Amino acid sequence: MLTPDLPRRNHLLAALSEDDYIRLLPHLEGIELTKGQVVAESGVSQGYVYFPTSSLFALLWPMEDGAQIQTGLVGNEGVAGIGLCFGTLGIPGRTVVQSRGYAYRLAAAVLKAEFDRRGLLQHLLLRFTQVLLIQMAQSAVCREHHSIEQQLCRWLLLTLDGSPSDPLAQANDSIADMPDGRRAGMTEAANQLKAGEVLQYRDGKIALDRPKLELRVCDCYSIGKVELDGLFPRKPVSAHQPA
Amino acid sequence: MPSDPHIAAHPIPEQSGAAERRAFIANNLLSALPRKDYRRMLTGLEPVNLSFGEVLYQPGEAISHVYFPGIALVSLMTLVDGRLTLEVGVVGCEGMVGLPVALGIGVSPFRALVQGAGGALRMKSNYFVKELRQSIALQRALQRYTHALMAQFAQTAACNRFHVVEERLARWLLMTRDRVQSTHFRLTQEFLSHMLGVRRVGVTKAAGHLQQRRLIEYSRGNIRIVDQAGLEAACCSCYQASRQWRSQSS
Repeated sequence: MLTPDLPRRNHLLAALSEDDYIRLLPHLEGIELTKGQVVAESGVSQGYVYFPTSSLFALLWPMEDGAQIQTGLVGNEGVAGIGLCFGTLGIPGRTVVQSRGYAYRLAAAVLKAEFDRRGLLQHLLLRFTQVLLIQMAQSAVCREHHSIEQQLCRWLLLTLDGSPSDPLAQANDSIADMPDGRRAGMTEAANQLKAGEVLQYRDGKIALDRPKLELRVCDCYSIGKVELDGLFPRKPVSAHQPA
Repeated sequence: MPSDPHIAAHPIPEQSGAAERRAFIANNLLSALPRKDYRRMLTGLEPVNLSFGEVLYQPGEAISHVYFPGIALVSLMTLVDGRLTLEVGVVGCEGMVGLPVALGIGVSPFRALVQGAGGALRMKSNYFVKELRQSIALQRALQRYTHALMAQFAQTAACNRFHVVEERLARWLLMTRDRVQSTHFRLTQEFLSHMLGVRRVGVTKAAGHLQQRRLIEYSRGNIRIVDQAGLEAACCSCYQASRQWRSQSS
C-alpha cells in the first residue's frame, strides 16, 4: 500500500487556477496502480484519464504480429489516456502502467465537460497533446539514428522527469523493459553506462547521475523537453505543502 | 478530380454553388465542415500553389499560416543532430499543416517540406485561431486529425524499427500514390533516402529490387507503379494499418 500523494504533485493539476482546481477536486479519485495495468486501448472507451503523481505510463504501439514498441512515456508532468478529449477515439495505441505508483483519475464525463469549458485545462490538455506528438515523432527518429546507449539515456531521463518521487525504482523497471526488448544490446549499453559511472547498482537498485546522462543523451530528449518546459506556468507544489 | 491542382484548390465566390463544391473536394478536412462554417472561413482562405522542395516551416519557427493541401503533399520532418532530417509523417488532402496552432502553440516542432507540388488553401494563423473558436465542427475535425497524425507517427516509429527498407519503400510509394491519386510521380533518390532514413545506396538497392520484380519502373526520379496489387503485397502491414487509421479519422 502506497502513501497517497497530493493531487498537485502532478504538474498539470498544479498548473490549474485555484478555481479550476477546486472545481475538479471532488471528482479526482486517488488510485494506486500496478505495473502492467492497461488503462487505454485504441478504439475502446477508456472511462478515465489519469494524472500520475508517482506512477508512470508507457504509450505502446502494438504490431500485428504481437511485437510492440514504446512511443512515449507519461509521468507526473502530464496526463495519460488523453484520447478522451478526441471524441469517441482513444489515443492511438495502448497505454499501460509502466511503473507502479499513485495517480488521480477523472471520469470521462467530467473531463469532457471541463474540456468544453474551453478554459485553462483544455489549453493544457491540447498542449500536452503536442508534447506527446513530439515524443512519438522523436521515438521514430531516435531509433534510426542513435545508439542504443543514447536511446537508453533518453528513456532514463524521461523516467526521471516523469516521477521524481521514486526515480530509482522506476528506472529499474525501465531498464528491464526498454526499449522494445532488444535485451542483448540493452545489457551492453547498461554496462557502458555503469563503466562511465552514469548508472550504479546499489543494493539491487539503480542510482542515476543526471548530469552525466544529459551529457550522453541525444538531441531527441531536449527537443521534447523544451516543449514540456514551456507548458507549465507554475511549479508543482512539493509533497510537504497542503493541497 | 480536376486536372489543374491550382484550380482545384481555388476558393470560388460564395454565390457559385457548383464551383464552391468543387473547392470542397480539394481538402477533405474542409469539405467535411458544415456549409455555413466553411463559408465563414472562406474569406480567410487563400489559394496557393506549393512547389516541390518548398519549406513551409523550419523547426522552432513561428507558424504564420496553416495549410490545407489539395493535391499538394507536405512532409513533416524532424531534425536529427541539427542537420539530418527524417520524415515522421505526411500531410495530404486529408489534413492540415500547422496543427500546433490548433493545439495552442505558435511554433512548429517540425520542418514542413513540400514533396508533392500542387494547390493548397492557406489561412493566417491568428485568423485560424479565431475560426477555430467559433466552429465546433472544425474543432472536432482537427481532434480526429490529431489522432490520425499521432497514429501515423507511431506507425512510422514501429515501421522503422521492424521492417526492411524494401517493404518500407513499397509502403511509402503506395502512400504517395493514394495522396496524389496517380501511379506516376517524381521523387528523387536523395529525397527517398531522407524519407526512409537510409543511405542512398540502400534506396537504390530497394528500388532496383522492386523494379526487378516488375512492380515499379524507376528512372531518374520518375516513378511509375506498374503492378499495384503486387506492390501492395510487397509492402509491410503498416500500409493497411495506416489506411485504416486514416479512414477512421475522416
